Amino acid sequence: MTAPVPLAIRARDLLTSEWTKLRSVRSTYWTLLVAVVTPIGISALVAVALSNAPGKQPTVDPLLPGLISQEYAVLAVGVLGVLTFSTEYGTGLIRTTFAAAPRRRAVLAAKAAVIGALTLVAGEVVAFASFALVQAVLSGKHLGVSLSRPGVPGAVLAGGLLLFVVATMGVGLGSIVRHTAGGIATLVGLIFLPAILGVLPAPWGARVARFTLLDAARQVTALHPATDLFAPALSLLVLLAWPALTLLAAALLITRRDA
Amino acid sequence: MIEVDQLVKRFGAVTAVDGLSFTVRPGHVTGFLGPNGAGKTTTMRVILGLDAPTSGHATVNSQSYPELIRPLHQVGALLDASALHPGRTATAHLASIAQSNGIGRGRVAEMLRLTGLEAVANRRLKGFSLGMKQRLGIAVALLGDPPVLMFDEPVNGLDTEGIAWIRQFMRALAADGRTVLVSSHLMSEMAQTADRLIVIGRGRLIADTTTAQLIESSTRKDVLVRSPQTAELADLIKARGATVNREEDGGALAVTGLDAPAIGDLAAEHGIALHALIPRSASLEEAYLDLTGESTDFRAATP
Repeated sequence: MTAPVPLAIRARDLLTSEWTKLRSVRSTYWTLLVAVVTPIGISALVAVALSNAPGKQPTVDPLLPGLISQEYAVLAVGVLGVLTFSTEYGTGLIRTTFAAAPRRRAVLAAKAAVIGALTLVAGEVVAFASFALVQAVLSGKHLGVSLSRPGVPGAVLAGGLLLFVVATMGVGLGSIVRHTAGGIATLVGLIFLPAILGVLPAPWGARVARFTLLDAARQVTALHPATDLFAPALSLLVLLAWPALTLLAAALLITRRDA
Repeated sequence: MIEVDQLVKRFGAVTAVDGLSFTVRPGHVTGFLGPNGAGKTTTMRVILGLDAPTSGHATVNSQSYPELIRPLHQVGALLDASALHPGRTATAHLASIAQSNGIGRGRVAEMLRLTGLEAVANRRLKGFSLGMKQRLGIAVALLGDPPVLMFDEPVNGLDTEGIAWIRQFMRALAADGRTVLVSSHLMSEMAQTADRLIVIGRGRLIADTTTAQLIESSTRKDVLVRSPQTAELADLIKARGATVNREEDGGALAVTGLDAPAIGDLAAEHGIALHALIPRSASLEEAYLDLTGESTDFRAATP
């Protein structure tokens, strides 16, 4: 009756389908534009501010402005991630999607992969563009660092992961919460609320902060990592654990609930 | 072929489907009829693997839906025509669904042509009327050229022309040898479209029969007779093997089993005067209300 379809072909089917969905709505272009343009602009402003600051040494890590600026793009790509599921649940389109692809975890994986790939590229573009811009301004004052310096390429590359991490987390939350506003609120809560606990008195502040998404992101991209947090390699694991655990929870729930 | 076997679906304390069993066979338009809230949509969702049954099961072509690979080639469904992203174009909407089942661009264009949406193919869906959305939903259902089709209340909100189009369309699909299940809460609509009927109320099967049989068996056909010699006439009619009932007002007779000309002849033969001789038949809609009357969840009071 039906010829067996190889797994690779089925994966390709779902990926092209999700890619078509993503590029056929305007919100994708707007959120990406915001996610790319805002941080690059902010990087430039931060760099100018740093180079005009009194004193010979900047008080912050030379790679930090590039990352801090990305933290402003986090919301845009987070929304993009949440929307992939929440609009389908909101309109009822999810039933058409699941009727066409009854293996729901495969749909979750395809959505996460497509959003992940797009935001990974966007994140790396932002990371390297910000780096180039910040260092161009700082080097005028002989404060910049070069991409050829050991540890720098890896740190910049790792910094570019932040958008990918938040966007894929958004995909998982969109599928769990099924509601745009609720999904975004949960995402914001998970990213920013634990960071507040970082102000707890020592040593508790750092003990909590080392597990937070934003501190992990700062740690992996810092040229001079903080000593009271996890080492960069471990922080990278913490950073990736956030979306991994969110998507795992989503995968467990997605087959258990009625669509 | 769609088979539903001892299906039960509960949502908390509410039992939406309560031990429902039926089979939908190819080559006919099968109407799935019941008042609002009878469990039609829930049953369809379970068939499509969207809702998990509490107990029992449903299969399509002897397979459980979640096991189907590229299911659009086997089952096409239109559940809710408004379930679409308003910012997407008709082409992108169809293409994204087609791609998930390995269906090519050519088929997408063909379906847009078939449903008369070619001219609006690249318009965003937020500008679509309900009728256009219904057509698009049918285009989605037909993408994989499936042998089994399900439509949930497809004529809701359509104008007369749209209704005629859908009706004709469904008949053509069934004539093609496909299995076609169409739900509706309107008996009159189903009587014109469906060859077979599955009637449910409160999640239970009320009737599973052909439309003709249902009309025959549940439509009241009798003759109202008024005469100054009611008792005498009643005896004569009964002697011919027909049934006589007194109408509520007491003066008239309701006769079943003997038609009006026969009653008239009988009366003339015996010199009995007739004041009224009225053949009556209840509408199909009344028959349906009789059938489902006890199974309606929400009934409005009559002032």
